[in-house]
Amino acid sequence: MSFVHLNVASAYSAHYGVNRPEHLVGAAAEEFDALAITDRDGLYGAIKHIGACIASNISPIVGVSLSVKTDNAESRVVILAHGHNKGRGWSQLCRVISKAHQSKSKQPVIELEQLAQLLTEDSFCTVLLGGESLVGKTVLANPQLAADEIAVWKKLLPKPGGLVIEVTNLLAEPGLIYSQQHARAMLDFADQNNLPAVLTNAVRYLRQDDALTADVLDSARHLEPLGLFELQPNAQAWLKPAEAMAAIALEITEDTQRAKTLLATTLRLADRCRLDPTADCSWGVPKTPEQQALGIDENPFEVLWQKSHAAISWRYPSVRAAELAQIQHRLSKELIAINQLGFSTYFLTVADVAQMIRDMKIRIAARGSGAGSLVNYLLGISGVDPIAEGLLFERFLSTERSTLPDIDIDVEAARRHEIYRAIFRRYGGSRVTLLSMQSTYRGRGAVRDGGLALGLEDEEIDEIAKNMWRFSARNFRKAMGEKPELARFASESRENRSLNLLVDITERLDRLPRHISVHPCGVILGNSSLLDLTPTEPSGIGLPMSQFDKDDMDPMGFLKLDVLGVRMQSAMAYAVREAKRVNKEVIELDSIAKDDQLVFKQIRTTNTLGIFQIESPGQRELTGKHQPTQFNDLTLQISLFRPGPMKGNMIKPYLDGRHGLAQPDYIHPDLRPILEESYGVVVFHEQLMRIMQKMTGCTLARADEMRRMLGKDAKVPAIEKYFRNSALARGYSKSVIERVWSIIEGFGSFGFCKAHGAAFALPTYQSAWLKTHYPTEFIAGLLTHDPGMYPKRLLLAEARRLGVKILPIDVNFSTNEYLVEKTEHGNAVRLALNDIAGISTPEIERIICEQPFVDIPDFYQRARPSRRTLERLALIGALDGLAGIAGADSQSNRADLLVYIRQLCAKRPKAIDESQLSFELGSLQNLPTGNPAPSNQEKLDDEIAITGMDISEHEIQKFQQMLDELGVVRANELVGLRSNTEVLIAGVRVATQTPPMRSGKRVVFISLDDGTGCADATFFDEAQRRCASLLFQNRLLLISGKTRRTGVRGVSILAENAWDLRQLWRDWESGSYSWLKIDSNLMIST
Amino acid sequence: MQQVVTGVVLDLDGAPVSFTFENRHYLVSSKPVRWYSRRVWWQEAPAAPRGSGSALVEVEMWRLWAASEFDRVFLELKHLQPEDVWEIYRIDS
Repeated sequence: MSFVHLNVASAYSAHYGVNRPEHLVGAAAEEFDALAITDRDGLYGAIKHIGACIASNISPIVGVSLSVKTDNAESRVVILAHGHNKGRGWSQLCRVISKAHQSKSKQPVIELEQLAQLLTEDSFCTVLLGGESLVGKTVLANPQLAADEIAVWKKLLPKPGGLVIEVTNLLAEPGLIYSQQHARAMLDFADQNNLPAVLTNAVRYLRQDDALTADVLDSARHLEPLGLFELQPNAQAWLKPAEAMAAIALEITEDTQRAKTLLATTLRLADRCRLDPTADCSWGVPKTPEQQALGIDENPFEVLWQKSHAAISWRYPSVRAAELAQIQHRLSKELIAINQLGFSTYFLTVADVAQMIRDMKIRIAARGSGAGSLVNYLLGISGVDPIAEGLLFERFLSTERSTLPDIDIDVEAARRHEIYRAIFRRYGGSRVTLLSMQSTYRGRGAVRDGGLALGLEDEEIDEIAKNMWRFSARNFRKAMGEKPELARFASESRENRSLNLLVDITERLDRLPRHISVHPCGVILGNSSLLDLTPTEPSGIGLPMSQFDKDDMDPMGFLKLDVLGVRMQSAMAYAVREAKRVNKEVIELDSIAKDDQLVFKQIRTTNTLGIFQIESPGQRELTGKHQPTQFNDLTLQISLFRPGPMKGNMIKPYLDGRHGLAQPDYIHPDLRPILEESYGVVVFHEQLMRIMQKMTGCTLARADEMRRMLGKDAKVPAIEKYFRNSALARGYSKSVIERVWSIIEGFGSFGFCKAHGAAFALPTYQSAWLKTHYPTEFIAGLLTHDPGMYPKRLLLAEARRLGVKILPIDVNFSTNEYLVEKTEHGNAVRLALNDIAGISTPEIERIICEQPFVDIPDFYQRARPSRRTLERLALIGALDGLAGIAGADSQSNRADLLVYIRQLCAKRPKAIDESQLSFELGSLQNLPTGNPAPSNQEKLDDEIAITGMDISEHEIQKFQQMLDELGVVRANELVGLRSNTEVLIAGVRVATQTPPMRSGKRVVFISLDDGTGCADATFFDEAQRRCASLLFQNRLLLISGKTRRTGVRGVSILAENAWDLRQLWRDWESGSYSWLKIDSNLMIST
Repeated sequence: MQQVVTGVVLDLDGAPVSFTFENRHYLVSSKPVRWYSRRVWWQEAPAAPRGSGSALVEVEMWRLWAASEFDRVFLELKHLQPEDVWEIYRIDS
């Protein structure tokens, strides 16, 4: 007995389905020769489904579960696309879904008339009216309404086979929907109306066990705890085997012949819906914009050839003949490969987009292996010279592979949407959509929705979620036994049944798709048939978004352009703009010399805050050890501090070689030119490729193929054999071959693509250059665009350290950006209005628009701030200038100002018209006097509370007396201490990291800022246990530990314990010193 | 009101044929309708590890007429798993 499931929701029916398409297909393939996917509201899982079906050699069937509105009601139906019709069914399905998403209602819905119009007379889809349709809901309870409804449907979809009744028996309570009675009624209903009937199981999970997960997903969808909404009837909606479905057919019909007919009709519809992926969905066929869309009418390859040759004189203006020959040789090689793969149009498209971005005066840089291509450099896609940096084209594109290469470009984050819109304008809405991405359940989200389902209190869930730190939710129970911060929860869960359940359901939710959103950088560029191939829906930024994600691009042959917004590019553009605006200086950031020794000197101090890619605590430590002196060093440093090279233990031998602590070992003189830059350590993919080429004589393209295969165990023996034989034939000794092979074999996934490192090193150098030569403008850019990993208050601390002058927020000068201002003492950064808590965008806009103001009433009247905003502005001193209380000799103070403001605000409701208000305000007396002035400490507390920044002085200042008494060491003094010195450090937490470690044990890094710089403390097991509750929570910390020297300028603290600085302060102030006895390591005399 | 029945005899499909309740022996006198009802696992279950789901979510029910020497009743039998306990619910008809 055969059967095909025609109604199957996968996990891509967010908050409904439970299993991923691959798992459903994998299980189905053991028994069925076809399987449908009919996700709710879209084709979110369809491409993965088709891919899995192809791999399992069964026929894919694709449909959707969609709400359709008739005059009677809105209800859900399943729409299946027919196959083997050159994609007409698929295209109709896509357009129906896109239409439904254009609806103005909250949920996607299509009107029946619209649906009928899209399916026209040539319908290549079948609509299934089942248990969720109005017919299904009323067939027992209100047969008249069911009859009315079906009449409407039949009228609008008259074509035979376009409409069927879906019969489902989930063995629900007799008389209810999905009961045997209901299924029988549906079958009878079909007969009465001369419609075919098919059998489904309205599947939403693979196994019965998953029904419990479905309950939790239902709760998340309803946003209600279990028990407060209508539950699924039972656990029967699973992917039942054919035999069970046949039994159900018999149970419904109680008639063998009728059961056979029901099953046969189901199979007939299934046959009609089997898709031919290539012919129906143009599976795997690359699609790029048509030539006319790119504005070319000649052969694309010829255009590419001409464009790139013409650019040689732009990129290499004063090149000598010998170099020119080298350039031309390489260019020809690349162009031939591109032509061979048929990618000319692709490159022209990306170049066209890059040119468009540059024409918009937006900063652009390439990232990834694309920087290895000379064509990309000449076309202006990349800014890194691949010849000078020793990058290989073959790492980027190889004739051995035929998938479209990824060319990723970085642009200014703040202008990314502008670029998207320009792309839509340039290529037309029929060829462009945004890319989507599915966010999935991770620890905290899973625990939150699990807690909601169980009806736990929000605060209780928050407390648990706060301690979910860097582990996969599916290992929740395991983590509870291991992690000190979860120890309390673990013991509570043993007593509390709900908490114990929470652990299990959190594990079940892990990794399930949660909701769809716009991919942060992907744009799909296709030909004019794009909207026949992908459904779209509106995105938050007003442009249509495909329902497919990045993994669906290759199978569908879509060209995905990664236009990634990089805040650092915005910050740098901003600094350049401010230099031009204020100093009238023009900075050509893309043409600065890359060997400025002042820049490297600045980097070597390890004060790398704000510098792209090397500001993290780990990179800062590495900077101290590495001490870079040239551009290639930056490429190396960025590449080394990656999970691969770190796991491969490449950093230490590299540093030892560099600092002369070990003699670099090149194994064979032939390899010296390849490995010299990294002192004998194989760091880059490009180096491995060159070694393979040198020793075996293979092409670089072949070498890259072999490199990729090193990750696959099954392929390694063949590569080993090839390597050994070829190297032997070329005269290398057995011992050399042995040693080189052991490196190649171990290299696996450890290395890094040099092109990627070099592409990153460029903005690294550029940002360091700005920090060195234009610190004020650069800090202004960092504050405005916030590109880094640290809080803004740390940028202020760094500004103070650099001697950059900071001007306070002032309503007459501050805007929504951190402007550079000329002062008597040189340039300064004016703090912006944005960081004031609770201030609204309209308030900011009014302030900027109405500036300048003459006095407080004028400001109040024209800028119309809320009372709360006005008070906050006063508290942080933003009104000091306006109120004339900035000077030390002023009669009044901020407390007086606040009293005045309260009087002012009290007047407002009485005002009837503008003139009346002015009169009333004018009658207000001058500022009162005599209220007690706030202390500096109070002012600082207000600043931190309102802006999150310690503006007037560093937050740590207030503890200084206690810290001095304790002998706390400052961050900038650490470098002068011997290794293993016992120290206390204190400061504001600026970063907490738990990077993956080679040993697999967890290590927690905490960085503190004390105004003189950052100090990094490392917590291992023991120390983590000692301060479990502090580890991820408190902001102000005192840490005890021992110094550990890691290099010339590298020092970190091996932490022993940590305390809450504020608690200590309270104890200290009250004269209680008992806390000092907590740890014998703290030998502080009091 | 849960009350337990004993001595349940099943046919090959797992459907009840006869049982004993309050010392009376009942024979099933209609075609029993099997269905699956819900359980409120979030209020009952101590844990929900993988594999335990279906027994936590649903419970097997049989709706049927049964007759003894003294009476004929319309009732529902609930078959609790994995305990293999049968509970009886009388339905007013």
